[in-house]
Amino acid sequence: MHLECKNLNFTYPENDVPVIQNLSFLIKNPGFNAVFGPSGVGKTSLAKLIAKMDTHFTGTIVTQDMDIILYSYNQERLPGWSGTGSHLDKVTPEGKHPLKDQLIDIFELKPILRSRFSKLSMGQQNRINLVRYLLQDFDLLIMDESLANVDEKLRETIILSIKDLFADKMFLYISHNLMEVSSFCREILVFGKPSGNKTCSIIQGRDYIKGYAPDKQSLDRTMLEIMNAV
Amino acid sequence: MLFRRIYQFLIVYSIGLISLLLIKTALSLSDYVIPGFGLILETFQEVFDTYFLDAMNTMSVTVLGQCVSIALAFGVGIAGRRSSWMGSFIKVTAYNIQAYPIVALAPIIFILLGDGFISRLLIASMICYFPLLLSVLGIMATPVEDIEHFYIITGRMRWQLEVKIRAFENLSKLTTVISGSATLAMAGTIVAEFIAANAGIGYSIRVALYQSDLAKILIALFLIGIIISIYQGCLETLGEQIKTRWSVSKGGNPR
Repeated sequence: MHLECKNLNFTYPENDVPVIQNLSFLIKNPGFNAVFGPSGVGKTSLAKLIAKMDTHFTGTIVTQDMDIILYSYNQERLPGWSGTGSHLDKVTPEGKHPLKDQLIDIFELKPILRSRFSKLSMGQQNRINLVRYLLQDFDLLIMDESLANVDEKLRETIILSIKDLFADKMFLYISHNLMEVSSFCREILVFGKPSGNKTCSIIQGRDYIKGYAPDKQSLDRTMLEIMNAV
Repeated sequence: MLFRRIYQFLIVYSIGLISLLLIKTALSLSDYVIPGFGLILETFQEVFDTYFLDAMNTMSVTVLGQCVSIALAFGVGIAGRRSSWMGSFIKVTAYNIQAYPIVALAPIIFILLGDGFISRLLIASMICYFPLLLSVLGIMATPVEDIEHFYIITGRMRWQLEVKIRAFENLSKLTTVISGSATLAMAGTIVAEFIAANAGIGYSIRVALYQSDLAKILIALFLIGIIISIYQGCLETLGEQIKTRWSVSKGGNPR
Protein backbone atom coordinates (compact mmCIF):
# COMPACT_ATOMS: atom_id res chain seq x y z
CA MET A 1 0.00 0.00 0.00
CA HIS A 2 1.47 3.35 -0.98
CA LEU A 3 0.40 6.85 -1.86
CA GLU A 4 2.63 8.73 -4.22
CA CYS A 5 2.33 12.11 -5.92
CA LYS A 6 4.68 13.06 -8.73
CA ASN A 7 4.98 16.62 -10.00
CA LEU A 8 1.42 17.43 -9.04
CA ASN A 9 0.07 20.78 -10.21
CA PHE A 10 -3.41 22.07 -9.60
CA THR A 11 -5.08 25.40 -10.28
CA TYR A 12 -8.73 26.21 -9.58
CA PRO A 13 -10.54 27.11 -12.82
CA GLU A 14 -11.43 30.62 -11.58
CA ASN A 15 -7.86 31.28 -10.39
CA ASP A 16 -4.63 32.02 -12.18
CA VAL A 17 -2.29 31.13 -9.33
CA PRO A 18 -1.73 27.38 -8.82
CA VAL A 19 -2.71 26.04 -5.40
CA ILE A 20 -0.41 23.08 -5.73
CA GLN A 21 2.81 23.37 -7.66
CA ASN A 22 5.24 20.55 -8.46
CA LEU A 23 4.27 18.54 -5.42
CA SER A 24 5.97 15.17 -5.05
CA PHE A 25 5.92 12.84 -2.07
CA LEU A 26 5.63 9.19 -1.16
CA ILE A 27 3.89 7.71 1.87
CA LYS A 28 4.28 3.96 2.23
CA ASN A 29 2.41 1.34 4.23
CA PRO A 30 -0.70 1.62 6.39
CA GLY A 31 -0.60 4.11 9.23
CA PHE A 32 -1.85 7.36 10.65
CA ASN A 33 -0.26 10.19 8.69
CA ALA A 34 -0.86 13.91 8.63
CA VAL A 35 -0.96 16.85 6.29
CA PHE A 36 0.10 20.00 8.09
CA GLY A 37 0.51 23.59 7.01
CA PRO A 38 -0.94 27.08 7.18
CA SER A 39 -4.38 27.87 5.76
CA GLY A 40 -4.58 28.25 2.01
CA VAL A 41 -1.56 26.15 1.08
CA GLY A 42 -3.62 23.47 -0.66
CA LYS A 43 -4.15 20.77 1.98
CA THR A 44 -7.84 20.34 1.22
CA SER A 45 -7.23 20.65 -2.51
CA LEU A 46 -4.65 17.87 -2.32
CA ALA A 47 -7.08 15.73 -0.30
CA LYS A 48 -9.78 16.19 -2.92
CA LEU A 49 -7.39 15.28 -5.71
CA ILE A 50 -6.32 12.12 -3.90
CA ALA A 51 -9.99 11.24 -3.31
CA LYS A 52 -10.59 11.71 -7.06
CA MET A 53 -13.14 14.44 -6.42
CA ASP A 54 -11.37 16.63 -8.93
CA THR A 55 -9.41 15.37 -11.90
CA HIS A 56 -8.28 18.66 -13.43
CA PHE A 57 -4.64 18.39 -12.44
CA THR A 58 -1.36 17.61 -14.08
CA GLY A 59 1.16 15.14 -12.72
CA THR A 60 0.52 11.73 -11.26
CA ILE A 61 -1.20 10.39 -8.17
CA VAL A 62 -0.45 6.72 -7.52
CA THR A 63 -2.67 4.97 -4.99
CA GLN A 64 -1.29 1.47 -5.00
CA ASP A 65 -3.41 -1.21 -3.25
CA MET A 66 -5.92 1.43 -2.28
CA ASP A 67 -9.21 0.83 -4.04
CA ILE A 68 -11.48 2.77 -1.74
CA ILE A 69 -10.47 6.28 -0.77
CA LEU A 70 -12.84 8.29 1.42
CA TYR A 71 -12.64 11.98 2.18
CA SER A 72 -14.40 13.38 5.24
CA TYR A 73 -14.45 16.98 6.41
CA ASN A 74 -15.59 18.83 9.46
CA GLN A 75 -18.61 20.71 8.16
CA GLU A 76 -20.59 17.78 6.90
CA ARG A 77 -24.16 17.34 8.02
CA LEU A 78 -26.47 14.37 8.44
CA PRO A 79 -29.92 14.51 6.80
CA GLY A 80 -32.31 16.47 8.98
CA TRP A 81 -35.14 13.94 8.86
CA SER A 82 -33.16 11.30 10.66
CA GLY A 83 -31.96 10.95 14.25
CA THR A 84 -28.22 10.43 14.62
CA GLY A 85 -28.58 6.89 15.97
CA SER A 86 -31.04 5.95 13.28
CA HIS A 87 -28.72 7.36 10.63
CA LEU A 88 -25.75 5.38 11.95
CA ASP A 89 -27.85 2.21 11.88
CA LYS A 90 -28.78 2.85 8.29
CA VAL A 91 -25.27 3.53 7.03
CA THR A 92 -23.58 0.71 8.91
CA PRO A 93 -22.75 -2.10 6.48
CA GLU A 94 -23.78 -5.66 7.24
CA GLY A 95 -21.58 -7.26 9.87
CA LYS A 96 -20.15 -4.00 11.20
CA HIS A 97 -22.66 -3.40 13.98
CA PRO A 98 -20.30 -4.62 16.74
CA LEU A 99 -17.70 -2.14 15.42
CA LYS A 100 -20.37 0.56 15.43
CA ASP A 101 -21.16 -0.10 19.09
CA GLN A 102 -17.46 -0.06 19.93
CA LEU A 103 -16.93 3.25 18.14
CA ILE A 104 -20.00 4.76 19.80
CA ASP A 105 -18.43 3.94 23.16
CA ILE A 106 -14.99 5.28 22.23
CA PHE A 107 -16.40 8.46 20.70
CA GLU A 108 -18.75 8.91 23.69
CA LEU A 109 -21.81 9.18 21.51
CA LYS A 110 -24.34 7.13 23.44
CA PRO A 111 -26.10 10.09 25.11
CA ILE A 112 -26.71 11.84 21.82
CA LEU A 113 -27.94 8.97 19.66
CA ARG A 114 -31.57 10.03 20.02
CA SER A 115 -30.83 13.66 19.19
CA ARG A 116 -31.22 15.44 15.92
CA PHE A 117 -27.95 16.34 14.26
CA SER A 118 -28.75 20.05 14.13
CA LYS A 119 -29.18 20.12 17.91
CA LEU A 120 -25.65 18.83 18.57
CA SER A 121 -22.55 20.86 19.30
CA MET A 122 -19.93 21.10 16.55
CA GLY A 123 -17.66 18.65 18.34
CA GLN A 124 -20.49 16.12 18.66
CA GLN A 125 -21.42 16.61 15.02
CA ASN A 126 -17.84 15.97 13.94
CA ARG A 127 -17.59 12.84 16.05
CA ILE A 128 -20.82 11.39 14.62
CA ASN A 129 -19.67 12.23 11.13
CA LEU A 130 -16.28 10.56 11.58
CA VAL A 131 -17.83 7.41 13.04
CA ARG A 132 -19.99 6.85 9.98
CA TYR A 133 -16.91 7.07 7.75
CA LEU A 134 -14.97 4.63 9.93
CA LEU A 135 -17.82 2.16 9.54
CA GLN A 136 -17.46 2.09 5.77
CA ASP A 137 -15.10 -0.09 3.79
CA PHE A 138 -12.00 1.94 2.94
CA ASP A 139 -8.28 1.67 2.32
CA LEU A 140 -7.43 5.33 2.77
CA LEU A 141 -9.48 7.74 4.86
CA ILE A 142 -8.69 11.42 4.61
CA MET A 143 -9.82 13.26 7.72
CA ASP A 144 -9.94 16.96 6.93
CA GLU A 145 -10.08 18.58 10.36
CA SER A 146 -12.55 15.85 11.23
CA LEU A 147 -11.90 16.23 14.95
CA ALA A 148 -12.19 20.00 15.08
CA ASN A 149 -14.03 21.28 18.16
CA VAL A 150 -13.56 17.96 19.99
CA ASP A 151 -11.89 18.42 23.36
CA GLU A 152 -8.24 17.50 23.55
CA LYS A 153 -8.50 14.53 25.89
CA LEU A 154 -11.21 12.84 23.86
CA ARG A 155 -9.39 13.63 20.62
CA GLU A 156 -6.34 11.77 21.89
CA THR A 157 -8.46 8.78 22.91
CA ILE A 158 -10.13 8.76 19.50
CA ILE A 159 -6.89 8.98 17.53
CA LEU A 160 -5.20 6.26 19.56
CA SER A 161 -8.26 4.00 19.17
CA ILE A 162 -8.42 4.59 15.44
CA LYS A 163 -4.74 3.61 15.18
CA ASP A 164 -5.44 0.51 17.20
CA LEU A 165 -8.62 -0.58 15.45
CA PHE A 166 -7.62 0.27 11.89
CA ALA A 167 -3.95 -0.66 11.89
CA ASP A 168 -4.16 -2.03 8.35
CA LYS A 169 -5.60 1.16 6.85
CA MET A 170 -3.96 4.37 5.75
CA PHE A 171 -5.09 7.71 7.16
CA LEU A 172 -4.30 11.25 6.12
CA TYR A 173 -5.20 13.58 8.94
CA ILE A 174 -5.40 17.26 8.05
CA SER A 175 -4.97 19.30 11.20
CA HIS A 176 -3.60 22.59 12.47
CA ASN A 177 -2.71 21.13 15.83
CA LEU A 178 1.07 20.88 15.89
CA MET A 179 1.31 18.90 19.11
CA GLU A 180 -1.26 16.38 17.94
CA VAL A 181 0.26 15.66 14.55
CA SER A 182 3.76 15.48 16.03
CA SER A 183 2.67 13.02 18.69
CA PHE A 184 0.35 10.64 16.92
CA CYS A 185 1.23 10.68 13.25
CA ARG A 186 3.76 8.49 11.53
CA GLU A 187 4.62 10.67 8.57
CA ILE A 188 3.75 14.34 8.36
CA LEU A 189 3.49 16.02 5.02
CA VAL A 190 4.32 19.63 5.78
CA PHE A 191 3.36 22.40 3.37
CA GLY A 192 5.42 25.58 3.45
CA LYS A 193 3.89 29.05 3.56
CA PRO A 194 2.60 30.09 0.12
CA SER A 195 4.61 33.32 0.32
CA GLY A 196 7.87 31.61 1.32
CA ASN A 197 10.24 29.61 -0.87
CA LYS A 198 9.82 26.38 1.08
CA THR A 199 7.92 23.66 -0.72
CA CYS A 200 6.75 20.47 0.83
CA SER A 201 8.59 18.02 3.04
CA ILE A 202 7.91 14.83 4.92
CA ILE A 203 8.81 14.69 8.60
CA GLN A 204 8.67 11.63 10.81
CA GLY A 205 6.21 12.04 13.69
CA ARG A 206 6.44 10.25 17.05
CA ASP A 207 3.61 7.86 16.06
CA TYR A 208 2.56 7.19 19.66
CA ILE A 209 0.24 4.27 20.27
CA LYS A 210 -2.02 3.31 23.19
CA GLY A 211 -0.15 3.23 26.49
CA TYR A 212 2.67 5.44 25.21
CA ALA A 213 5.21 7.12 27.45
CA PRO A 214 5.78 10.63 26.10
CA ASP A 215 9.36 11.56 25.35
CA LYS A 216 9.33 15.33 25.70
CA GLN A 217 12.72 15.93 24.09
CA SER A 218 12.05 14.02 20.90
CA LEU A 219 8.54 15.46 20.67
CA ASP A 220 9.96 18.98 20.94
CA ARG A 221 12.49 18.11 18.26
CA THR A 222 9.74 16.90 15.91
CA MET A 223 7.66 20.00 16.53
CA LEU A 224 10.66 22.21 15.86
CA GLU A 225 11.37 20.34 12.62
CA ILE A 226 7.80 20.89 11.52
CA MET A 227 7.88 24.58 12.41
CA ASN A 228 11.09 24.99 10.44
CA ALA A 229 9.55 23.28 7.45
CA VAL A 230 6.51 25.55 7.39
CA MET B 1 -51.51 30.94 9.48
CA LEU B 2 -54.96 30.21 8.06
CA PHE B 3 -56.62 32.94 10.12
CA ARG B 4 -53.84 35.39 9.36
CA ARG B 5 -54.48 34.90 5.64
CA ILE B 6 -58.21 35.49 6.11
CA TYR B 7 -57.65 38.60 8.23
CA GLN B 8 -55.21 39.97 5.70
CA PHE B 9 -57.68 39.46 2.87
CA LEU B 10 -60.58 40.98 4.83
CA ILE B 11 -58.48 44.05 5.65
CA VAL B 12 -57.40 44.51 2.00
CA TYR B 13 -60.93 43.91 0.72
CA SER B 14 -62.43 46.33 3.24
CA ILE B 15 -59.90 49.02 2.32
CA GLY B 16 -60.74 48.55 -1.36
CA LEU B 17 -64.49 48.67 -0.74
CA ILE B 18 -64.24 51.71 1.53
CA SER B 19 -62.10 53.49 -1.05
CA LEU B 20 -64.73 52.81 -3.72
CA LEU B 21 -67.49 54.11 -1.45
CA LEU B 22 -65.43 57.20 -0.64
CA ILE B 23 -64.88 57.87 -4.35
CA LYS B 24 -68.62 57.40 -4.92
CA THR B 25 -69.44 59.89 -2.15
CA ALA B 26 -66.73 62.39 -3.12
CA LEU B 27 -67.70 62.45 -6.79
CA SER B 28 -71.45 61.95 -6.19
CA LEU B 29 -71.49 58.96 -8.49
CA SER B 30 -74.71 57.07 -9.16
CA ASP B 31 -75.37 53.46 -8.07
CA TYR B 32 -75.01 52.49 -11.70
CA VAL B 33 -71.30 53.39 -11.63
CA ILE B 34 -70.46 52.43 -8.05
CA PRO B 35 -73.24 50.75 -6.08
CA GLY B 36 -73.96 51.86 -2.53
CA PHE B 37 -73.32 49.64 0.48
CA GLY B 38 -77.03 48.78 0.77
CA LEU B 39 -77.20 47.69 -2.85
CA ILE B 40 -74.07 45.59 -2.44
CA LEU B 41 -75.62 43.84 0.57
CA GLU B 42 -78.85 43.28 -1.34
CA THR B 43 -76.99 41.81 -4.30
CA PHE B 44 -74.95 39.69 -1.91
CA GLN B 45 -78.13 38.05 -0.55
CA GLU B 46 -79.44 37.64 -4.06
CA VAL B 47 -76.47 36.00 -5.75
CA PHE B 48 -74.49 34.48 -2.88
CA ASP B 49 -75.73 30.88 -3.38
CA THR B 50 -75.12 30.89 -7.13
CA TYR B 51 -71.78 32.65 -6.88
CA PHE B 52 -70.59 30.46 -4.05
CA LEU B 53 -71.23 27.35 -6.16
CA ASP B 54 -69.53 29.04 -9.12
CA ALA B 55 -66.53 29.91 -6.95
CA MET B 56 -66.36 26.33 -5.67
CA ASN B 57 -66.53 25.12 -9.24
CA THR B 58 -63.59 27.37 -10.10
CA MET B 59 -61.80 26.23 -6.98
CA SER B 60 -62.14 22.57 -7.90
CA VAL B 61 -60.56 23.26 -11.30
CA THR B 62 -57.87 25.32 -9.54
CA VAL B 63 -56.99 22.54 -7.10
CA LEU B 64 -56.93 19.92 -9.82
CA GLY B 65 -54.92 22.17 -12.14
CA GLN B 66 -52.45 22.89 -9.38
CA CYS B 67 -52.06 19.20 -8.58
CA VAL B 68 -51.37 18.47 -12.24
CA SER B 69 -48.81 21.27 -12.46
CA ILE B 70 -47.10 20.24 -9.19
CA ALA B 71 -46.78 16.68 -10.45
CA LEU B 72 -45.48 17.89 -13.81
CA ALA B 73 -43.09 20.42 -12.26
CA PHE B 74 -41.61 17.81 -9.93
CA GLY B 75 -41.34 15.25 -12.73
CA VAL B 76 -39.58 17.64 -15.08
CA GLY B 77 -37.63 19.31 -12.25
CA ILE B 78 -36.25 15.98 -11.09
CA ALA B 79 -35.42 14.94 -14.65
CA GLY B 80 -33.77 18.30 -15.36
CA ARG B 81 -31.73 18.59 -12.17
CA ARG B 82 -28.65 16.93 -13.63
CA SER B 83 -25.92 18.92 -15.29
CA SER B 84 -26.10 16.49 -18.20
CA TRP B 85 -27.06 17.42 -21.75
CA MET B 86 -30.67 16.42 -21.13
CA GLY B 87 -30.78 18.36 -17.84
CA SER B 88 -29.46 21.50 -19.49
CA PHE B 89 -31.86 21.08 -22.40
CA ILE B 90 -34.84 20.79 -20.05
CA LYS B 91 -33.72 23.83 -18.06
CA VAL B 92 -33.13 26.03 -21.10
CA THR B 93 -36.45 24.95 -22.65
CA ALA B 94 -38.32 25.67 -19.41
CA TYR B 95 -36.74 29.12 -19.06
CA ASN B 96 -37.58 29.99 -22.66
CA ILE B 97 -41.14 28.70 -22.66
CA GLN B 98 -41.99 30.43 -19.39
CA ALA B 99 -41.03 33.73 -20.99
CA TYR B 100 -44.02 33.32 -23.34
CA PRO B 101 -47.37 34.56 -21.98
CA ILE B 102 -49.37 31.37 -21.64
CA VAL B 103 -52.67 33.27 -21.53
CA ALA B 104 -52.06 34.18 -25.16
CA LEU B 105 -52.38 30.49 -26.00
CA ALA B 106 -55.81 30.24 -24.37
CA PRO B 107 -57.81 30.96 -27.54
CA ILE B 108 -56.02 28.14 -29.34
CA ILE B 109 -56.91 25.77 -26.50
CA PHE B 110 -60.56 26.82 -26.61
CA ILE B 111 -60.66 26.40 -30.39
CA LEU B 112 -59.15 22.94 -30.19
CA LEU B 113 -60.79 21.62 -27.02
CA GLY B 114 -64.01 23.63 -26.71
CA ASP B 115 -65.17 25.68 -23.72
CA GLY B 116 -65.58 22.86 -21.22
CA PHE B 117 -63.74 21.55 -18.18
CA ILE B 118 -60.58 20.33 -19.94
CA SER B 119 -59.77 23.75 -21.42
CA ARG B 120 -60.07 25.44 -18.02
CA LEU B 121 -57.97 22.75 -16.39
CA LEU B 122 -55.29 22.96 -19.05
CA ILE B 123 -54.99 26.76 -18.87
CA ALA B 124 -54.94 26.73 -15.04
CA SER B 125 -52.19 24.09 -15.04
CA MET B 126 -50.13 25.84 -17.68
CA ILE B 127 -50.25 29.22 -15.95
CA CYS B 128 -49.18 27.83 -12.61
CA TYR B 129 -46.80 25.20 -14.03
CA PHE B 130 -43.89 27.29 -15.29
CA PRO B 131 -43.18 29.44 -12.23
CA LEU B 132 -43.48 26.26 -10.19
CA LEU B 133 -41.14 24.42 -12.54
CA LEU B 134 -38.48 27.12 -12.34
CA SER B 135 -38.49 26.98 -8.54
CA VAL B 136 -38.44 23.18 -8.44
CA LEU B 137 -35.68 23.09 -11.05
CA GLY B 138 -33.64 25.61 -9.06
CA ILE B 139 -34.05 23.61 -5.86
CA MET B 140 -33.44 20.21 -7.41
CA ALA B 141 -30.41 21.35 -9.40
CA THR B 142 -28.63 22.84 -6.38
CA PRO B 143 -26.59 20.24 -4.49
CA VAL B 144 -26.60 20.21 -0.71
CA GLU B 145 -22.92 19.35 -0.68
CA ASP B 146 -22.36 19.02 3.06
CA ILE B 147 -25.04 16.32 3.27
CA GLU B 148 -24.67 14.67 -0.12
CA HIS B 149 -20.88 14.30 0.04
CA PHE B 150 -21.00 11.24 2.32
CA TYR B 151 -23.47 9.40 0.08
CA ILE B 152 -21.56 10.27 -3.08
CA ILE B 153 -18.10 9.29 -1.86
CA THR B 154 -19.33 6.05 -0.32
CA GLY B 155 -21.28 5.18 -3.47
CA ARG B 156 -24.62 5.20 -1.67
CA MET B 157 -26.24 8.04 -3.58
CA ARG B 158 -29.44 7.20 -5.44
CA TRP B 159 -31.60 9.71 -7.28
CA GLN B 160 -34.45 9.19 -4.82
CA LEU B 161 -32.15 10.04 -1.91
CA GLU B 162 -30.78 13.07 -3.74
CA VAL B 163 -34.31 14.37 -4.37
CA LYS B 164 -35.28 13.66 -0.76
CA ILE B 165 -32.29 15.57 0.62
CA ARG B 166 -32.85 18.57 -1.62
CA ALA B 167 -36.60 18.62 -0.99
CA PHE B 168 -36.14 18.37 2.77
CA GLU B 169 -33.51 21.08 2.89
CA ASN B 170 -35.77 23.41 0.89
CA LEU B 171 -39.10 22.45 2.39
CA SER B 172 -39.98 26.00 3.46
CA LYS B 173 -39.17 27.32 0.00
CA LEU B 174 -41.21 24.55 -1.65
CA THR B 175 -44.18 25.15 0.65
CA THR B 176 -44.12 28.86 -0.11
CA VAL B 177 -43.84 28.26 -3.85
CA ILE B 178 -46.66 25.71 -3.86
CA SER B 179 -48.98 27.88 -1.79
CA GLY B 180 -48.07 30.88 -3.96
CA SER B 181 -48.81 28.92 -7.11
CA ALA B 182 -52.39 28.42 -5.86
CA THR B 183 -53.05 32.07 -6.72
CA LEU B 184 -51.64 31.52 -10.18
CA ALA B 185 -53.78 28.43 -10.71
CA MET B 186 -56.85 30.39 -9.57
CA ALA B 187 -55.92 33.28 -11.85
CA GLY B 188 -55.45 30.84 -14.74
CA THR B 189 -58.84 29.24 -14.17
CA ILE B 190 -60.62 32.60 -13.90
CA VAL B 191 -58.88 33.91 -17.01
CA ALA B 192 -59.97 30.78 -18.87
CA GLU B 193 -63.54 31.20 -17.66
CA PHE B 194 -63.43 34.85 -18.48
CA ILE B 195 -62.30 34.21 -22.04
CA ALA B 196 -64.61 31.47 -23.17
CA ALA B 197 -65.76 28.91 -20.59
CA ASN B 198 -69.38 28.30 -19.73
CA ALA B 199 -69.05 27.81 -15.97
CA GLY B 200 -67.23 29.07 -12.91
CA ILE B 201 -66.89 32.41 -11.16
CA GLY B 202 -64.92 33.90 -14.08
CA TYR B 203 -67.87 33.20 -16.32
CA SER B 204 -70.20 34.88 -13.78
CA ILE B 205 -67.91 37.92 -13.71
CA ARG B 206 -68.05 38.08 -17.50
CA VAL B 207 -71.86 38.04 -17.38
CA ALA B 208 -71.83 40.73 -14.64
CA LEU B 209 -69.45 42.78 -16.76
CA TYR B 210 -71.83 42.68 -19.72
CA GLN B 211 -74.58 43.83 -17.33
CA SER B 212 -72.23 46.54 -15.94
CA ASP B 213 -73.16 45.28 -12.47
CA LEU B 214 -70.26 46.25 -10.18
CA ALA B 215 -72.02 44.91 -7.08
CA LYS B 216 -71.99 41.40 -8.51
CA ILE B 217 -68.34 41.77 -9.48
CA LEU B 218 -67.47 42.93 -5.96
CA ILE B 219 -69.23 39.92 -4.48
CA ALA B 220 -67.46 37.60 -6.91
CA LEU B 221 -64.13 39.17 -5.90
CA PHE B 222 -64.98 38.72 -2.24
CA LEU B 223 -65.74 35.02 -2.74
CA ILE B 224 -62.62 34.48 -4.84
CA GLY B 225 -60.47 36.21 -2.25
CA ILE B 226 -61.89 34.44 0.77
CA ILE B 227 -61.75 31.01 -0.88
CA ILE B 228 -58.18 31.41 -2.14
CA SER B 229 -57.10 32.74 1.27
CA ILE B 230 -58.55 29.67 2.99
CA TYR B 231 -56.94 27.40 0.42
CA GLN B 232 -53.52 29.05 0.72
CA GLY B 233 -53.75 29.06 4.50
CA CYS B 234 -54.55 25.32 4.43
CA LEU B 235 -51.60 24.66 2.11
CA GLU B 236 -49.22 26.60 4.37
CA THR B 237 -50.49 24.85 7.49
CA LEU B 238 -50.14 21.51 5.74
CA GLY B 239 -46.58 22.40 4.69
CA GLU B 240 -45.68 23.35 8.25
CA GLN B 241 -47.15 20.12 9.58
CA ILE B 242 -45.29 18.01 7.03
CA LYS B 243 -42.05 19.77 7.92
CA THR B 244 -42.57 19.35 11.65
CA ARG B 245 -43.56 15.71 11.40
CA TRP B 246 -40.82 14.83 8.93
CA SER B 247 -38.09 16.28 11.10
CA VAL B 248 -39.42 15.76 14.63
CA SER B 249 -40.89 12.28 14.50
CA LYS B 250 -37.96 10.74 12.69
CA GLY B 251 -35.38 12.85 14.42
CA GLY B 252 -36.77 12.33 17.89
CA ASN B 253 -37.15 8.63 17.59
CA PRO B 254 -34.18 6.55 16.41
CA ARG B 255 -36.38 3.76 15.03
